[in-house]
Amino acid sequence: MNEPALQAYLLAQADDHLILAHRNSEWIGHAPILEEDIALANIAQDELGHATLFYDLVCALGGDDPDRLAFWREAGKFRCVQMVEQPRGDWAFTMLRQYLFDAAETILLAHLVHSSYAPLAQAAAKMRNEEIYHLRHTTAWIKRLGLGTAESHQRTQAALDALWPLAQQLFAPLPGQADLASAGIVPDGESWQQAWRAEVRPFLTTCSLTIPANDTPPTTDRTRHSAHLAPLLADLQQVARMEQEAVW
Amino acid sequence: MTDTQWPRYEVFKQDLPGQPHKAVGSVHAPDAEMALLNARDVFARRPQVVSMWVAPASAVFSLTAEELAANPEFWQGTAVSPQPYALFAKRSQRRSMTFVEYAGEVVAESAQLAIKQALEDGRFQPETAIVWWAVPLSAISGSDPQDVDSYYAPATAKTYRQQSYYGFVSPTRKSVKREP
Repeated sequence: MNEPALQAYLLAQADDHLILAHRNSEWIGHAPILEEDIALANIAQDELGHATLFYDLVCALGGDDPDRLAFWREAGKFRCVQMVEQPRGDWAFTMLRQYLFDAAETILLAHLVHSSYAPLAQAAAKMRNEEIYHLRHTTAWIKRLGLGTAESHQRTQAALDALWPLAQQLFAPLPGQADLASAGIVPDGESWQQAWRAEVRPFLTTCSLTIPANDTPPTTDRTRHSAHLAPLLADLQQVARMEQEAVW
Repeated sequence: MTDTQWPRYEVFKQDLPGQPHKAVGSVHAPDAEMALLNARDVFARRPQVVSMWVAPASAVFSLTAEELAANPEFWQGTAVSPQPYALFAKRSQRRSMTFVEYAGEVVAESAQLAIKQALEDGRFQPETAIVWWAVPLSAISGSDPQDVDSYYAPATAKTYRQQSYYGFVSPTRKSVKREP
């Protein structure tokens, strides 16, 4: 087994979940309606839980402790995609980003529950049910936003125009991923992307949204980040860094 | 000021198979599907749930024992057309979280007549009851049994959502406790 490649793959997954969870948590107290505030906080908490599961797997392969990974790495050491770094935007942007991510995760986890690396298969089984619920929630919202008023439609289309190219970075193969795919540990990026497109394209179309022609992500390299990541980390890591020896 | 909230839905939660659905509170939602999703997030964060129902609050007819005593003919002139109603009753003040619970179904020509029928057949007893509800079955939407795994089961593994998970400082004993 190509352990360094697996560790890098798991770290990328963990970072995507952590940063997305943080962006969603920024809505706490600000969501458009109380019930949705609770629902999104709930989704954010689930994604944070999934990040923890992935960090634990990294740690088990000889990586750093999950808290060290989350709170003591600089932006340049993170391996998240730029889609999750983007500011939360309006409600349509947040819901559409979460939808595109949930659709991708649900497909990925359906593969990972059969991973030949047993600890990953077990973690995936835990996460899968929650992702199915997230997808139900975001699907319901996108339908209503896309088919709702002229304003909700316009905002959702604008969000899709911005997010569609960014989302493609999720599937860009990581170094060594081909080895992992041929060992049946993780799926290859291309078939993952195809399955995702086959699901999200018809759904978005039924929501009266137009799939943007541009599907080239700004980068496929997870070592390169947008300008939004560093300020986000400053916020996320602030409390932990106040007192390095504190026990939580 | 205009109320910009969505319509309110009453939420009924079933803790275990075979137990009655119990009213647990309400959520705002634009429609029944979103009401079920919101109900899950608001009321199923802690175990235990196997099924949920929602009904628009506007579809609920409610009658208290006092209202019955004041107006025993409450059902006069309400008949419209026969349809099945779900009946709910609150029979005790013992548990603060428990409001009305499911108590069967009848076909009646109005919600008022549904309660009258339950009073006559002995299902509802003024001596023990505090409040009754009648809700048209057509107004109730329920969760799909297939959704239990993704909607409700994950909550049972989240002990950190239980109050008892967190440390507390006792006002009498200056100690911090945390259960693992």
